Amino acid sequence: MGKLDGKVACITGGTRSIGRAMAEAFLAEGGKVVVNGRDAAKGQQCLDEMAAGDNAAFFAGDASKQDAVEGLIDFTIERYGQLDICCLNSGGVQMTAPVAQMSDEEWQLEIDWNLNQVFWGMRRALQHMIPRETGRVIVTSSVEGKLGKPGIPGYAATKHAVNGLVKAAAHETGTLGVTVNAILPGLIETDIVRATGPDSAVAMGLGSYENLIEAFSSESAIKRPNTVEEVAAVAVLLASDAARNITGCMFPVDGGTMPY
Amino acid sequence: MGVLDGRVACITGGTRGIGLAIAKDFLNEGAKVVVNGRDESKAERTLAELDAGDRVHFIAGDVKVRESCEAIVDGTVEHFGRIDILVANAGGSSGNAPVADLTDEAMQDALVWNFWHTFWTMRRAFHYMIPQQWGRVMSISSVEGKVGKPGLSIYVVSKHAINGLTKSAAQEVGTLGITVNALCPGAIETDTMIEQGPPAAESMGMTYEGLLDMFAQESAIKRLNEVEDCAAVATLLASDAGAGITGSLISIDGGTAPY
Repeated sequence: MGKLDGKVACITGGTRSIGRAMAEAFLAEGGKVVVNGRDAAKGQQCLDEMAAGDNAAFFAGDASKQDAVEGLIDFTIERYGQLDICCLNSGGVQMTAPVAQMSDEEWQLEIDWNLNQVFWGMRRALQHMIPRETGRVIVTSSVEGKLGKPGIPGYAATKHAVNGLVKAAAHETGTLGVTVNAILPGLIETDIVRATGPDSAVAMGLGSYENLIEAFSSESAIKRPNTVEEVAAVAVLLASDAARNITGCMFPVDGGTMPY
Repeated sequence: MGVLDGRVACITGGTRGIGLAIAKDFLNEGAKVVVNGRDESKAERTLAELDAGDRVHFIAGDVKVRESCEAIVDGTVEHFGRIDILVANAGGSSGNAPVADLTDEAMQDALVWNFWHTFWTMRRAFHYMIPQQWGRVMSISSVEGKVGKPGLSIYVVSKHAINGLTKSAAQEVGTLGITVNALCPGAIETDTMIEQGPPAAESMGMTYEGLLDMFAQESAIKRLNEVEDCAAVATLLASDAGAGITGSLISIDGGTAPY
């Protein structure tokens, strides 16, 4: 018997890294999962690797676009008849730059990808969850939702904004059987960090990717990056019945990095 | 197979309320558990309720006394051979009053009960955990470890102190396989609350029912928390999956604390 037997989840950016780890953890606890990603080939590969048969499905779409995010919610409900757990996990930066060099286009992308995605997905999910009086919204935020590193102003700004959205929505839905929480991971060596890390390191004045990893690690108490499995374990907890009274929480998975 | 198979836990104040709920969860996940209470009279009832045979052991001791705190930790190691998880759960406050009317004795008592007890058990547990390079220390702090309420300063001060201790200790042992975290629950109507709530409410100029309602109304869920909420988080923190979570002050308060 799993902690999520009979529950249906969807995950933006679920084909790899944190989202993928959440998907696998949810499946292991008896849930059904729809994962989302931009690339259909990667989606199929993800489904093949998870080998969960009818309990998993893929929905192709760019999580920085409203129709894709809302489409994921609608597809999940159509496919499995309900949506219990909405994980708004996709996000990142395309081009790191300090504020003085930040382009409007990059700024808008980060707002769409990191903030509007969460708003679009949360709104659509709540419209389904509130009448059912049950639901879990879990947002992958970041330590940068409380801090602010040079060179990634859009990321820090949008993650701060997401945390505010989570708190407000938690108060709106607190008596309706729905919880809304954010998980705040420290640095994790995901595919996206490996891909964008070298440029980020330069923008942040750290020189190399190795220095970037070292800089984040040294700020933590554990002196290492976090792992996707550590985030997934918290997501399972927040998705489970046991967490019915935890809402509006900024749940840290950061090895002791944030001061509050 | 449980996520705490083979682990040994020690819980101060584990005969009822949050501590008892954590003990049940830990036992369900395969751990061996020492529960502590002030006197032997509670042992029989607690052990019967936990019904876990020789996987659970009772150690009597008053957490307001340093020697007792150290004996609870040492006794855990003597009985089960090691200590992997410490839950510094006991605590409370009596003699609550507005600062202008507060006695030295009430402040001192709350500090010993909440803060010194956490320090004494944590320090002793580290002596075992650091050499074995594995450990989980968690304290039951409170939403009052993050915010302040009028008339409850002794409780608020001692819980804030626990949160500071948690952050510093986490940095000290972060690379040694040991995590240190604080759980910050909202109000829960435990036996302790039923005992200590009415006089605390009086010090705040309200009824006990008014006190509970005030806590509920401050939350998003508009109701009190439950002991099982804390147990679920404690089990996660104690498990291998909790290895990357340390120095955290985790809100289990239905959306009450602002951060």
